[in-house]
Formats: sequence, structure tokens, C-alpha cells
Amino acid sequence: MKTDEIYNAYLASLLAGNRSGCAKMINDLIREKTSIKELYVNLFQSSLYEVGRLWEQNKISVATEHLCTSITESMISLCYPMIFAAEHTGKKAVITCTPGEYHQIGARMVADYFELYGWDGYFLGADTPADELMQYIREKKPDIVALSISVSFNLAKIRGLALKIREEFPDLTIITGGQGFRWGGEKAFENIGNVTVIQSLDELVEKFLVTSNKAL
Amino acid sequence: MNPAFMSELAVYMMEESSIICLTYNNDGIIIESNKFADALFGQTLKGLPLHEFFIDFGKSATVLLTGNISPEKRLININTHSGLPETYYFRFFNHDNVIMAVGELNNKEVEVLRKSLLDVNRELNNLTRELHKKNAELVKLNDLKNEFLGIAAHDLRNPIGIIMGYSSFLMEELETDLSSEQVEMLKTIQGTSEFMLHLLNQLLDISAIESGKLNLDLQFTDLVELVHRNANLNAVIAARKQIQICVECYEYIPEIKMDVIKIEQVLNNLISNAIKFSLPGTTIKVSTFLGGDYVTVAVIDQGQGIPSVETDKLFKPFQRTSVKSTSGEKSTGLGLSIVRNIILGHQGRIWVESSVGVGTTFYFSLPIKGPVKP
Repeated sequence: MKTDEIYNAYLASLLAGNRSGCAKMINDLIREKTSIKELYVNLFQSSLYEVGRLWEQNKISVATEHLCTSITESMISLCYPMIFAAEHTGKKAVITCTPGEYHQIGARMVADYFELYGWDGYFLGADTPADELMQYIREKKPDIVALSISVSFNLAKIRGLALKIREEFPDLTIITGGQGFRWGGEKAFENIGNVTVIQSLDELVEKFLVTSNKAL
Repeated sequence: MNPAFMSELAVYMMEESSIICLTYNNDGIIIESNKFADALFGQTLKGLPLHEFFIDFGKSATVLLTGNISPEKRLININTHSGLPETYYFRFFNHDNVIMAVGELNNKEVEVLRKSLLDVNRELNNLTRELHKKNAELVKLNDLKNEFLGIAAHDLRNPIGIIMGYSSFLMEELETDLSSEQVEMLKTIQGTSEFMLHLLNQLLDISAIESGKLNLDLQFTDLVELVHRNANLNAVIAARKQIQICVECYEYIPEIKMDVIKIEQVLNNLISNAIKFSLPGTTIKVSTFLGGDYVTVAVIDQGQGIPSVETDKLFKPFQRTSVKSTSGEKSTGLGLSIVRNIILGHQGRIWVESSVGVGTTFYFSLPIKGPVKP
């Protein structure tokens, strides 16, 4: 699917705040049976990374960045009929952002990937209080808990959260990831045990979703 | 301060800055306004009274009256030319009885507002995700229900058939040896078994249709001939209730591409329903007519009619109206739902017109060329 032409047209619409233009493109791509991976990774993720880069270079305002995120979230919703159609495997994952982390889109994509591979992906969203997460884990008894940070300032929080989970659930698999790990941070989980930092959606698929029975 | 810099600053304030800059006298008349203020309100403010734009002076009203000006920030709500009220924070300066007001957008408030909007949007997206997830689960549950329904109905048909067969055998072989009470009992067993078989067949139909298994065997067919045949078959049952069935097909109707068995099922359902809910001495009319690329069939009765508030639920499964059959005939509540799905499968249309005390007409129309593949 992804040609530079489509990508550039989508990015231009996104930056212009043209929600309906973006929706038309995505609906066309869905009709052409474009895969979720292509849409999520090559279009949504790539374009948002570019938006982030433009923001860092002071080329767009924070308001534009927020608008782009908001439009992307709506575009993701258009893919849901494809995502939630998978046969369920009976496995469960709880996916959340740490307290103080307001960028939820990456975590939402992870939750959707779990669904795509037949898991129940329970998504708690941005800025989830630790106690709320712990209660949810007790209720749902997931096979995996996935924690996301998009800004590296939240590294200490994600480590604290992993420790708290490990204290009560010694055997629960924890995966972490997000743009917050762009400059490193994997060492934050040394000595906690069974915590994996995932660098990409592909790695998530390879290590946990395709071979989930073996990995767990 | 350097006078040249001050002069440059004043030019910047009046010409280029994105802050509101006004001077006005004690009567509240604007003496000078900068470009930004004019653009914000959509007109030149010079010479206009302040109160036309500022709807609430707050503490500033006292400032104006007493002339006690201080550079403390004060809140003023204004009506902008967009019609939306906005809040600005101003500092007032007094210079030779002319008051200068310098204000700027309250970025903190805008930020809070933006954050709230983002929160609402995020919440909305998360709820949308939940909704899709729940919908997908419901679809799967519905499929499971249909599968179960299909298996259960199919497996129940054989035992019911055996009950029907044996009760019929007993009726034929032992009729003379049985008391009239025992014959009635056997008749009840047979009647109830027939109804159960009918119900099971309809449940199988529903589960097949809902599972997307409405397989149509399309052939060009003479619809008028089909209407006549079905009317004749039902005329025997209608005669028992002194109801007459007449067919009115005057126009030439070309052969239509349809699934004969399924359209026969539709006709049979509509005509037998009309008999079920009509009173003795009335007439049921079945007519066909052409309209564009469609042919329409109407089944018109002179029955009790259906209250308009109830017509919406007619085509939904297991829904019944308050109208009762005239001879105690039973109904599964599935027939019209099946009929509707058969017609929709042919890319046709079905609808009803009814008037209480006058009668009911069911219409269905079919494309002459048959359904077009999507």
C-alpha cells in the first residue's frame, strides 16, 4: 500500500487538521484490503513520529501536535472492524500508560495488536493511577501487563510501577515500551525479573503474539 | 528608557503585537485602538463606546469611576465579533485623564480548555474502542446462538416427526376402537406436533439467515403463475373460514429472476397471515403490478388492521402485535422476519399499510432482473 505519494498526502492532511480528508484516505486503503500493520506502522506511526520531529524543531505548535494525535486516534477507530474480528485465543493482556503519561496512542496501538492476534487487549488509557491498575490486574488476571511511556521523564514512574506489580504478582510477565525508551532506559528493570522492553510492534508480534504459548 | 526604543515599542504595540491595546477617556469612549484589537472585533474601534464590546468590567468599573488606576491585572469579559464571550486580563494606566488598557489572551485558561478538550477526545476514543470490542463480542455470541439454534432445531425435528407419524398411525388404525375423548387427545398431539415442526423449521430458517446462509437459487420464473398457485392452495383453508381469495393480475409481468421456493414461502406466509387475522365473510385480494424496474405484489385483507404504533415491530423476530387471530390459530412470531430477509436477499423491499377496522396490505417488490451481485 504505502507509497510516498499516499504517505505525503496523508501527512499533509494530518498537519492541516483535515480530519475528513484523512478519513477518506484511510477508508480507501481499508477497502483496498491494506493490512493493519501497514496502516499502523507505515502510516499512523510514521506520520506521528514526523509530527513529533516537527514539534521538536519548533516547526509546528503543541496545538497542531495535539490535533494530529486526535485525528490519528479517530483514524485508528476506522480500523476496528478489522481488528476485533480475530478468533480469540483466551489470553488476556492489560495495557496502560503510567501515571503522568498523557500520550496514549502508542499504548492503544499495542492493545489493538493484542486484539488482532486473538488476545483480549484491555486498554486503560492515559495517566492511569497505580492503584486502579493493580485493581484491574486482580480482576482480569491477565497473562501480560504492558506499560507505556512516551516521554523519558516518566522512566522512574514506569520502574516504580513495575516494582509494585512484581511485589504482588511475582510471576506476571511485564512488557514495557514506547518513545520514552528512545534514548535507552532498559537497565531500569534490572533485578525486577521477567520485564521485557519492546522496541517495536514487530518485536511485540515476534516475541509475544505469534509464539505466545512458547513465550509465556 | 531610550526614547527611540520607546517610540519603536509604541509602533510595535499598535501595529504588530498580538495584544489588545486601547486608550479611552473617562466617558468610556475609545480614543485609539491597535490593529490587533480592531481585527479581533472586526471593525475600527476608534470613537466607539467601550460598553459595546466589554460586557462586564468587574473591578475595573470602580477603576474607571474613581480614576484610581494601578497596573494590577484585571479581568474583563468581552463579546468578540465571533459572538463567543471571551475573558481577557488587562492592565490600566492613567495618563492625563486618558486611560490606556493593555490586555492579552489568557493563555493559561486556553491551555486548561485545550487540555480538557483533549481529555474528552481521548475518553471518547477509548469508549469508541470499547464499543467496537463489545460489538465484536456480541456478533460472536450471536453466531454461537445461531449455531446452537440450528443444531437444536435440526436434532429436534426427527423426534417430532416420529410423534407425528405414530399419532397419525393411531388415528387411522384405531379410530373405531377409541373413545371420542381419546380421538381428541390424539388430534391435540398431532396439531401440537405440527406446530412444533413448523416452529422448528422457522427457527432453522432464522438461524440460517442470520448466519448469512441465505443461499438463493435464482431462476427466471412466472410470478403471476406462482401467485395463482399459492392463492389456490390457500383458498381451501380460507374457505373453512368463509373467506374468499381473489387474484387480480391484469398487467403483463415478465419473468423475474428469483428463488421460486423462497418467494413461494413469502407468498404463503403473507396469504396465510391474512386468512389468520381476517373475519368470516371477508375477501383477500392478491394483486401484481409493474413499476419501473420492479414488480410489486400486494396482499390486501379486510381484517382487523394493525395499530400504527405496532407496525414497526412486525418484521422483527419473536415480536407480536396486539391483534389476535380470528379462529385461535397459533403463530411463531418468526414468519414475517423470515419473509423480510428473503425479500432483502433478493434486493427487494417489503412494507405494510394498515388501518384499524379497515384492513391491512402487505407489499413486496422485486427487481425484475433479479438481485445484482455486490
